[in-house]
Amino acid sequence: METITLTINGKRVSCLEGKSILEAAEAHGIKIPKLCYHHSLKPFGACRLCLVEDEKTGRLFASCVTPAAPDMVLLSDSPQVLKHRRNIISLMMAEHPESCIVCNKGNRCQLRMIAAELGIGENHLYPMPNYKPLEQANPFIMRDLSKCILCGKCIRADHELVCAGAIDYNSRGFDSRPATLHELPLEESTCTFCGTCVSLCPTGALSTKTDFAGTPERESNSVCGFCGIGCNLTLGIAGNMIVDVNPAHIENSVNDATLCVRGHFGHDFLNSTQRLTHPLARKEKELVPVSWDNALETTAKKLLEIKDQHGPESIAFLGSSKCSNEENYLFQKIARTIIETNNVDNGGYLSGRLLLDLAEERTDKAGRFNFFAGPLSGLEQAEVIFVLGAEPDQAAPVLDYYLKRSAKKGTPLIVANPKKIGLTTSASCWIHPYGSPKPAQNFFDTFYLELINLISANLLEKNAIDTSFISRFTSGYEEYKSDLLSLDQKTSVEKANLDSRSIKNAAETLTGKKITFVVGDGLMLQRYGKEAMEALLNLALMTGSIGYKGAGFHILSKENNLVGAWDMGTVPGTLPGRLMINNENDRNIWEKAWKSKIPQTKGLDLYQMIKKAEEGSLKAIYIMGENPLRSLPQPNRLLKSFESLEFVVAQDILFNETVNIADVVLPGAPFSEKAGSFTNMEGKIQCFSPALPPPKNAKTDLEILGLVAEKMGAPEYKSNHEDIRKEISNTISAYSETAACKHPIWIREKNQLQDNMAEKQIRFSPVTSSSETVCDDDYPFIALFGSTRFHLGSGTRTGQSERINVFAPQGEIEVSPVDAEKMNLIKDDRIKVTSVTGELERTVKVNSNIRSGYIHIPTAYNHNDARCLIQLVPLLDADSSGWDSCRVTVEKV
Amino acid sequence: MNPTEMDWEKLSEILAQHQGKKWGLIPLLQEVQEGFGFIPPESIESIAETLNLYPSQVQGVITFYAGFSSEPKGKCVLKVCRGTACHVKGGKSVLRLIQKNLDLKEGETSPDYQFTLETAACLGACFLAPAMMVDREYYGKLNPIKVTSILGEYRKEKGED
Repeated sequence: METITLTINGKRVSCLEGKSILEAAEAHGIKIPKLCYHHSLKPFGACRLCLVEDEKTGRLFASCVTPAAPDMVLLSDSPQVLKHRRNIISLMMAEHPESCIVCNKGNRCQLRMIAAELGIGENHLYPMPNYKPLEQANPFIMRDLSKCILCGKCIRADHELVCAGAIDYNSRGFDSRPATLHELPLEESTCTFCGTCVSLCPTGALSTKTDFAGTPERESNSVCGFCGIGCNLTLGIAGNMIVDVNPAHIENSVNDATLCVRGHFGHDFLNSTQRLTHPLARKEKELVPVSWDNALETTAKKLLEIKDQHGPESIAFLGSSKCSNEENYLFQKIARTIIETNNVDNGGYLSGRLLLDLAEERTDKAGRFNFFAGPLSGLEQAEVIFVLGAEPDQAAPVLDYYLKRSAKKGTPLIVANPKKIGLTTSASCWIHPYGSPKPAQNFFDTFYLELINLISANLLEKNAIDTSFISRFTSGYEEYKSDLLSLDQKTSVEKANLDSRSIKNAAETLTGKKITFVVGDGLMLQRYGKEAMEALLNLALMTGSIGYKGAGFHILSKENNLVGAWDMGTVPGTLPGRLMINNENDRNIWEKAWKSKIPQTKGLDLYQMIKKAEEGSLKAIYIMGENPLRSLPQPNRLLKSFESLEFVVAQDILFNETVNIADVVLPGAPFSEKAGSFTNMEGKIQCFSPALPPPKNAKTDLEILGLVAEKMGAPEYKSNHEDIRKEISNTISAYSETAACKHPIWIREKNQLQDNMAEKQIRFSPVTSSSETVCDDDYPFIALFGSTRFHLGSGTRTGQSERINVFAPQGEIEVSPVDAEKMNLIKDDRIKVTSVTGELERTVKVNSNIRSGYIHIPTAYNHNDARCLIQLVPLLDADSSGWDSCRVTVEKV
Repeated sequence: MNPTEMDWEKLSEILAQHQGKKWGLIPLLQEVQEGFGFIPPESIESIAETLNLYPSQVQGVITFYAGFSSEPKGKCVLKVCRGTACHVKGGKSVLRLIQKNLDLKEGETSPDYQFTLETAACLGACFLAPAMMVDREYYGKLNPIKVTSILGEYRKEKGED
């Protein structure tokens, strides 16, 4: 593209051909007022405020929609331009209601700002306010369309960025306004309450419904603490409260101008009355406030005592996929060097972290990022996208926006899911099991594994493979090929109740393309999750979908710092930087850095910790920022095992189920009150600074860990986040830039396999097939568990948001119309669901997206009671029934 | 005819011919309007799905054009001209006469869905002033007798049904 030069306000400016005048001007610091333009949206030319005058001809252009041309001579504030601008604003103000003066948008209102700049007060026009009814029935968004200036930002954000299609202009002329289908209230439309429109609205037409009145005193940028996307936020602060959350509008941020309902409205937990603000200790069965010194002393003394008495193996450390990299690093360092145990894990165990390990195992350390697809923006360049077992519109809405945008541009999208998820309407092919589950046969288990095998076999038959990739980078292909060719396709189809046409269809769509995979819990936490993942890796190798731009794997991570906690070694088998515990060279690197010995054997993972507690050989656990008593299956069994422990330390921000049984409680701080860094699911390290100090007596988690170490006789561990970052970056090459962390840092920007890894051989794993599972006739239904977009994980934090609880209080169980009729169920009837391990009662909702024989139970509601149905079994174990579905009975109450 | 009951079969026949076509919204809407006499609101979602649009977009287009209606209209749509020439020649009295005769106000439809009364800014038939249209027929140089007889004709048609 050529560079062109033009003159604006007497200043020579240059820009690339095709840029608009407005873009050229803004890039050179020339300010032009505008109301309908936003850099993330297509230019629209609605408000006409960005007029500029062509000095030669006197013509006026709307600069946002006029391409810059060579040798233009333009004026952005000539008397003519100003006259027109004033007229436009005067007309808008004449239509504005009197309530403008008490509008909550206040000094952030762009209309008011521009009016003030242009000196428009009394405008001598006959006021003609365009009264429209105020809509405020939902707890999130207030719509006052009498303040709407028809800039169309909300509509364009809805169509172009979020792809929800909830609103569009209705009617014409004076009557026109953004409206939902049939002009229903927002809650009855397809609106997801992501709040993107609210953040973009230049006036008070759309605003957040809140008790806070006025303008926040200051703003601070941060990183969202919910899911693995890692959206950039701007927190609005008034006094000691976060009163407002908006997307940070940082260019090239993962979320750009978007957010989801959790990110926008679910941060209420930061101001919750359930926040822990004082250290607590158990005295005669009651948790009572104690001094910091006392709490720390008890913690250190007791842990060292237990170590002396029962050995280091009797203590476990549960770190957090929600805490920062620095905290996780120090946490596992304390465990490994002071307590001398590798019994370290984090909540990522629940989110398929084991499978990430598996993927990594296939390659050596140097190639660890090869399987991953890198930035989500790559999805918009993908050749074909294959979404398996993920429900991004609920679990990670911002990822859903990416997928929908990509599908809208014409990228073929294949969805494999037993449930009709939000994305299926955008998909070119939807693979699901047919018919209802037969008694005594659990074909749902086998669904993903068999369909991947079948698609691979189909592709192989069509010879749709990347031979040059296979010969250069892989080993074991011949065995794999013969295995796959001998696959009994007919049995496979039957086993999983698949339709061979949809498999053929999918294979056709995939032929000759590099595949971008999006994999979610639905696949990873299944009985055959491990085998399915292996098969998927084989498929990726066969089609050469690795190390190619945009292609590879996106593992949908539900926790903001799942990858970071993993990188920082808060896992039983790996040290920071993903160095292996059982490798002497790897261990030596950290032993040298820490000047301390590291135990040689892999520690206990989360499941094993519970198992050992039940057996009595685990005596103490230190939990930082996790709530296992709410998030893990079989809560009663868990409670018993935790109560049998001699000593439980809980370091957390909220009073929760786990804190309730702890012996010492250390009040920590959420992301908004500390400095640190998170590594998101793309592999991007993002640093953040505190917006507020921790409340009352709470301390930042890093400080607490330092103090605990000090009490244990290691004062040198006490340090701030900068020192820890330096320590990390000295040894972990991927994190080497974090010490000078100013901007987000990519640890796996672009896969370079094709160029750099000529020597690498990634092996194919053997083809496995599922075995027929016989299951109990007594449990005829399959319950699928899934999160909703209103809650994250077990809902410990999002459950503190009153507006979310008001809007989505119940978490209704969804049943298919066929089953509803059979059982004579209508909306709001109560049903009892029973599994081998437990039962629950909830109201019901009939949903035609559910297939007969299945029910869908949303997690996180009612103290996450859904998990009582699931059996606490080790994941990835051969006999594991998985954590994402189970057999149940359903009866009407 | 009972326009309040949705004929899904008829709709899917129309939609089948437009599946996935680009820029096909307005012709499709015209066809639906032609077939049903109006665009039933419950058809919006199917129309959107056919053309891969958002339902809200389809509704936006329907509400933008005066030519599309999402309310059932009568079998005969009367458009009385409000243009200058017609006004001078007594168009207002013609409108009043029709309103009285049919017991309808501007924009209303008779309960038996026989007549809908509308007005137009100008029908472009000034040489026939005062003028009106019934469906696609022009009627000009109207006087009270002529108006009564035209309305009678269209009522009769109803009787024949």
